[in-house]
Amino acid sequence: MPVNENFVPKIQVFEPHRASLPPLIPYLKEFWTRRVFATELARFSDKAEYLDSRLGKVWLVLNPLLLGLIYYLVVEIIRPGGGLPGLTRLDHLLIGLFTFYFAQNCVTAGALSITAGGRLILNQAFPRALLPFSCTIQAFQQYLPTIPVYIFVLVVGKWAYPTTEVPGWTWNFFWIPFIVICTGLTGFGLALIFATLNVYFRDTNKLLTYITRIWMYLSPVLWLPNSLRGNMKILLWINPLGPVLSATSRVWVNGASPSKNTILGCIFWAIASIMIGGYFFISRERDFAIRI
Amino acid sequence: MPEDLAIRIEDLSISYKVSLEAKRTLKNAVMRASLKQKERTRTIEAVKHLTLDVPHGSVLGIVGSNGAGKSTLMRCVAGILSPTEGRVTVNGKISTLLALGVGFNPALSGRDNIILGGLASGLNMDEISDKTDEIAAFAALPDGFIDLPVRTYSSGMYGRLSFAVAVSMTPDILLLDEALSAGDAAFKEKSFERMRQLCAEARTIVIVSHALATVTDLCDSAIWMHKGQMLSKGKPEAIVDEYLKFLNVGSLPSSYEDM
Repeated sequence: MPVNENFVPKIQVFEPHRASLPPLIPYLKEFWTRRVFATELARFSDKAEYLDSRLGKVWLVLNPLLLGLIYYLVVEIIRPGGGLPGLTRLDHLLIGLFTFYFAQNCVTAGALSITAGGRLILNQAFPRALLPFSCTIQAFQQYLPTIPVYIFVLVVGKWAYPTTEVPGWTWNFFWIPFIVICTGLTGFGLALIFATLNVYFRDTNKLLTYITRIWMYLSPVLWLPNSLRGNMKILLWINPLGPVLSATSRVWVNGASPSKNTILGCIFWAIASIMIGGYFFISRERDFAIRI
Repeated sequence: MPEDLAIRIEDLSISYKVSLEAKRTLKNAVMRASLKQKERTRTIEAVKHLTLDVPHGSVLGIVGSNGAGKSTLMRCVAGILSPTEGRVTVNGKISTLLALGVGFNPALSGRDNIILGGLASGLNMDEISDKTDEIAAFAALPDGFIDLPVRTYSSGMYGRLSFAVAVSMTPDILLLDEALSAGDAAFKEKSFERMRQLCAEARTIVIVSHALATVTDLCDSAIWMHKGQMLSKGKPEAIVDEYLKFLNVGSLPSSYEDM
């Protein structure tokens, strides 16, 4: 019998597991080993998405910026000034919207990632969570260029309207990476839930367009976190993005540190989303090849 | 598992439920729940109590009519589907071609798709970069096509590229499903050559094929599956004869090709 000199024994055992989880440590090891696949898939998807567009990546920035201006006009018509000096409310709205869109892009693209990954899923065995994870990376890459845009609007706004509140340098800006990580984790966890639902119910994606719109109106983007009164304050806590958006406004617009409860809220929703989404997704992922 | 085995399948059964609803939507689910109706489903027993050993360096052919459970069995060996009962043990790096197409994004170039395919199968960037030109040459893509979007490829080019990717990843175990119908006669001969080379290097191949000539030419053992069960196993010629008798179409040369 011929000998394969390059053969490295790699024993894999496949046994039944239905609604329970597969062995998690090997799963996470495989996930980590193939992380480059997720980052490259994000890079290539980005490339494919903007390949044919003349304005290309400029749309990534223009889109949320124009939406921000539209919402600002609407909000200004309903309640001029809003009790904030200069363009402070525009700043709050823009950074809130950019952060919200980061999470929303994780969820909406992630929800489609499994059903769109048809042949790949039918052809190869790999941790399926890499597909929604790749969407989270792509959403993050799309979020990054909105930051300089926000800073630009802030500087121009201060110059045109000197009463606009602009925070000076503060160590509280070091809360920003924490907020971004919590937003990404929450978005990824929710993407896992909706990606699974979309495999079983193909109209989930349609419903998601309404869910995300309602979700934004219930989030402190168009309104300020401290404008809620009485029982309405619960909206800030039952909404997975409530704490991170409150923290975003507080750090970016006021230059202040988020409150202890807000920080705990951010951590709670990041962990809860990953745990619930992860369980829901991983326990069903071996079923995906049959369903898609 | 003994060291000389590449695949061991022990009393494997795979069944799954399929919905009989025209469309599975949340709307229908809510409607059903409000009317207190249950979803109409059917359980498909795709593979029933199958036991099989595949030694390293062998080529196993699987024949059987549509719905015999061949593809489901292959997906389970690849770790894509979960067994319902029993166990599958695999020793070695697997490469698969179970659905035609490199399979990612038609807007991206062949090169980009090869990179993504390689990364998904667990290779690293250096290993894949070394192979992309070799893959393009094997797939006999016309000059420059490797850097054009895959949507501009003809179906033949697409199929050849898929096959080239699967066989170029230096797998220990190669699982192929209907792949050989991808190219013309010349490409088919090249594919055979490549698979013989893989066998000579003691790599294991499992082929599902309706082209029975492929099974007799290439395989050193074969199994016949019917409605989820393995009806027989043995020498490819004997299995193909048995299968043809079952089909009652005789053993004319024409019936050997692309049945």
